[in-house]
Amino acid sequence: MDQFLVSLMNGLVYGLLLFMVSAGLTLIFGMMGVLNFAHASFYMLGAYFAYMLQDAIGFWGALVVSPLLVALVGVVVERFFLRRVHRYGHAHELLVTFGLSFIIAESVKLFFGNYPVDYRIPAALDIPAFSVGGAQYPAYRLLMGGIAVAMFVLIYLLLTRTRVGIVVRSAIYKPRMAEALGHNVPLVFMGVFGVGAALAGLAGAVAGAFYTTNPNMALELGVMVFVVVVVGGLGSLEGAMLASLLIGVITSLAVSVDRSLADLFALAGAGDWARSVGGLMTLKISSLSATIPFALMLLILLVRPGGLMGEKD
Amino acid sequence: MTKRNHFNRALVPTLALLVCGAAAAAPVKIGVLETLSGPQASSGLAYRAAVRYAIDQINAAGGWNGEPVQLLEYDNQGGPAGAADKLKAAAADGVQLIVQGASSAIGGQITEDVRKYNLRNPGKEMVYLNVGAEALELTGEKCNFYHFRFAGDAQIRTKALVAAMKQANALGTRVYSINQNYSWGQDMERAIVDNASAGGYQVVEKTLHDVNKVQDFAPYVAKIAASKADSVLTGNWSNDLLLLMKASRSAGLKVRFGTVYLDQPGNLANAGDLAVGHFVVHTFNAESAGGEGEKFVNDYKAKTGHDPVFIEPQTVFGMAMVADALKRTPAKGGKLDVNAFAKALESATYKSPMGEMRMRAADHQVQMPMVVSTVSKDARYKADGTDMGFTPVKRFSAAEASSPAQASCDMKRPD
Repeated sequence: MDQFLVSLMNGLVYGLLLFMVSAGLTLIFGMMGVLNFAHASFYMLGAYFAYMLQDAIGFWGALVVSPLLVALVGVVVERFFLRRVHRYGHAHELLVTFGLSFIIAESVKLFFGNYPVDYRIPAALDIPAFSVGGAQYPAYRLLMGGIAVAMFVLIYLLLTRTRVGIVVRSAIYKPRMAEALGHNVPLVFMGVFGVGAALAGLAGAVAGAFYTTNPNMALELGVMVFVVVVVGGLGSLEGAMLASLLIGVITSLAVSVDRSLADLFALAGAGDWARSVGGLMTLKISSLSATIPFALMLLILLVRPGGLMGEKD
Repeated sequence: MTKRNHFNRALVPTLALLVCGAAAAAPVKIGVLETLSGPQASSGLAYRAAVRYAIDQINAAGGWNGEPVQLLEYDNQGGPAGAADKLKAAAADGVQLIVQGASSAIGGQITEDVRKYNLRNPGKEMVYLNVGAEALELTGEKCNFYHFRFAGDAQIRTKALVAAMKQANALGTRVYSINQNYSWGQDMERAIVDNASAGGYQVVEKTLHDVNKVQDFAPYVAKIAASKADSVLTGNWSNDLLLLMKASRSAGLKVRFGTVYLDQPGNLANAGDLAVGHFVVHTFNAESAGGEGEKFVNDYKAKTGHDPVFIEPQTVFGMAMVADALKRTPAKGGKLDVNAFAKALESATYKSPMGEMRMRAADHQVQMPMVVSTVSKDARYKADGTDMGFTPVKRFSAAEASSPAQASCDMKRPD
């Protein structure tokens, strides 16, 4: 029972981290209709910026300034790259972000080397929050979860309860009409892109210290973030939250399931036969835990192509 | 009859002239077929640095047959498909010796492709010098005359690791095995189980997980905590090792890690203090190798700009054995006869700073000394620019570290 609780909490916090990165991605998709391949690179930049800044302005300062810097990078990308190719259509925008992701990854290697850098959580935060089932639960994980939840609430309120939110939503929904009413739609797009990038940067600054900050971190998380956005429904913030939590909890719980297909057959009395077949039959679920999200994505695409909470079918 | 003799008399000198002409233009070409770009490039670049260093040494000693040995570099782009492609390019370029080390999956592809190429192109054979792909099958079911391994394997590494950790009273009686789910990780898991009685422990649980896909190891650590293990043995490398150790530290787990790849650059810098007290089994430790080790470290650093760490020493030593075999292979018609070279390599020896090494002809697995070290702040050589380094715990001679050749290896030699 204790282990189940710990696994559940681990899954929730990992899910919340996934949400921090995918929130920006899904917002940007909702706005431009284009998947931003460079989004996970913003996550990586956030971690590296924080790593550079922590000596000068401390961990907390880095946590604030790093997302701002990433937002600036995002704004530059939108203003000087994406806006130029916008009139050539979505395929070109997609290719630009795809190319950018390579350029960012290679630049990071150029400046910081091929190996993980020395970016760690400060000693004051490296403490257990409480003890459960013989293991301690790190306080930093709770902090990560807390930041993600606060972020979700803030964005949600901003989009649904404020005047800025109304303008943003109308610019996304009917850009020409919003423009005709006198709103500066390109500025709104630039702002949303910057905020989306900043969210990824914040996630990177927070998670880079807990996991590792290395030139592959964009690649490692990037794929999972796309899965989250597809499962949740492209453009849906609530969907991204739901899908992140779902994927986090499933991968976490699957680790402790040492069952295989053969055990299922054993219920029908064919266990020995299944074990003798081997291969897929004896593959333990626990060894597949990182692959399950992809199976989930496949299932969602087959059953509900728009995603769990997507609007476009 | 006489007419034909005349003809021969005229032909032979011409041919001889031709052969001499070819002789001057046929240096030995060594091709590094590594992952030089993409996410896994860091290991490939390390192998390349070590091979470059070793080739420079061969050439400084006069090269082969009076000519410098040529080094060609091919980027396999991190996968078996890229490796198969570039192997063809290397064959077309006249490369006779292929060097590769990162990834057993790529090594498996190369050894099969080289075997088939040699069957189809008699007289133009190639040799695969494996400096780091440690899957057992490469010297087992897939072993063949043209493959030579200059690194350890799961059995050799685990045997040494277990013996040294037991002697240091760091193993305990309950061991958790966690590995990556592919050939290398599965070999490690088997080796950890096989060494249970020698190490006097019980394997409380075995876990295989996806390779380099897991970001969050907390669920695995919860499982380790629930198993009440004293120590964790793992063949994980790169992020899979670092994230696992970080997650167990933040869960306050009091387990000892026995690893194979903790000495990968960046690991100590990123892990920080949490690495202290954990173990690694590797092929070289400068402190343990004494004066010879210091000389090697200084020379390597002067030539390449960094310390020889991780897989670099084993690559340099392996290439030194290649140099030994080259020296004993006379030119045949101005060219390197690969079959003769491979036969010479079967009996190659080299005295590395760590001790005597020799090639075992039965399965082409090198017999090399191993050393088990623990991370500490008292180490003589610091790693990664931190205040920590690797203090040797126990050194094994080649004979002590050796594990028997696998029965599944059926080596077919050319006549």
